[in-house]
Amino acid sequence: MVQQTVTVPNRLGIHARPAALIVKRASSFRSEVTICSGGEEVNAKSIMGVMTLAAGQGTDLIVSASGPDEERAVQEICELVSSGFGED
Amino acid sequence: MRDRYPEPGEMTVGRLYELVGQKLLLTPANDEDGFSRSITSPDISRPGLALTGYTHRFLHDRIQIFGETEITYLSSLGSAERSAALGNVFGFPVYCCIVTKGLELPPELTSAAAGASCALFRSPRDTTPLIHDLTGFLSEVFAPRKSVHGTLVDVFGVGLLVTGRSAIGKSEAVLGLVERGHRLVADDIVRIRRTGEQLLGTGDTLMGYHMEIRGLGMVNVAALYGIRSIKDKQQVDMEVRLVDWSQKPDFDRTGLDRSTTTYLGIKIPQVILPVLPGRNLALLLEVAAMNFLLASRGVDVPAVLDRRLIERMQEAGG
Repeated sequence: MVQQTVTVPNRLGIHARPAALIVKRASSFRSEVTICSGGEEVNAKSIMGVMTLAAGQGTDLIVSASGPDEERAVQEICELVSSGFGED
Repeated sequence: MRDRYPEPGEMTVGRLYELVGQKLLLTPANDEDGFSRSITSPDISRPGLALTGYTHRFLHDRIQIFGETEITYLSSLGSAERSAALGNVFGFPVYCCIVTKGLELPPELTSAAAGASCALFRSPRDTTPLIHDLTGFLSEVFAPRKSVHGTLVDVFGVGLLVTGRSAIGKSEAVLGLVERGHRLVADDIVRIRRTGEQLLGTGDTLMGYHMEIRGLGMVNVAALYGIRSIKDKQQVDMEVRLVDWSQKPDFDRTGLDRSTTTYLGIKIPQVILPVLPGRNLALLLEVAAMNFLLASRGVDVPAVLDRRLIERMQEAGG
């Protein structure tokens, strides 16, 4: 399993649109991908799950993956989050 | 009766009489010589000015309406002048003539029409409402139209146009909807006409309410499910495009992105629905229709949820 922590940089946090971007990216991997925040762990391929995190600006997310493409999954999702989803 | 509009190229005086004769209360005042004449324009004309001799811009390729003005004018003339006045009109190949308000036909009009092999009708109806109904009908006949490969069904009053490649399961999905009490308008070939700012869909007249279900062949929905399961015509409100799940389309995960599609210049909402064995498509189509109803009442569910989420995060962040 691969794990990495990333901080939510954008002002509005992980609202619906960023959540959809994360879910789409996560769904493109075969590995199991989870995101953990504040003790709650959700499936990164589930839009309702990712939205439930209510991860606002400055929240630390622990992205974990296990499976054949776990390295790339964690790396790409962390990059996506730190890019701020194209938001301010 | 099923809505059977002729193709614009097939429109004749005889078809007009057959299709709206009853509604317009038309009675033929001469024989059927003029019935084969083609009608190629949805407009009508009042030939008053042409009767007076001013035929410079006379719109002869129209249905000519003789109302009170025209008939009163003709009555004010002597017989010879009356024939001359009518000669101005019937010198042109007019489509046909309708005399409204139950007005008496001047004998010269009857003979001029007969001489020109032009159909002449009488109607007891008032001129303006008759013109209104006549142009309403003709503008539907001459409306821009196209045929779409898909299935049209009325779900809670919402006209869902279900499209997608052959054998993806459109008919099965719609059969599921009919089973749940919704109404089939057309399967496989949907004829769409644009009337004003709306799209109106009907089925193919030959195919009626038959559907092909793979493995079962042709089934007759009207016979199986009865009168409540079918509908003649329906406004096309939205398109649901069924796609293969395996194609991994970039489908919307939130419902925030409203995509649209355009038919005959009219934009309608479009939903892309990935198909997977075991997905209950009829149920999903029902929810798509209900979502459309909510959205048309100004309730944007994903946007409301998104706002709630953002508020929560901002409260937590202080």
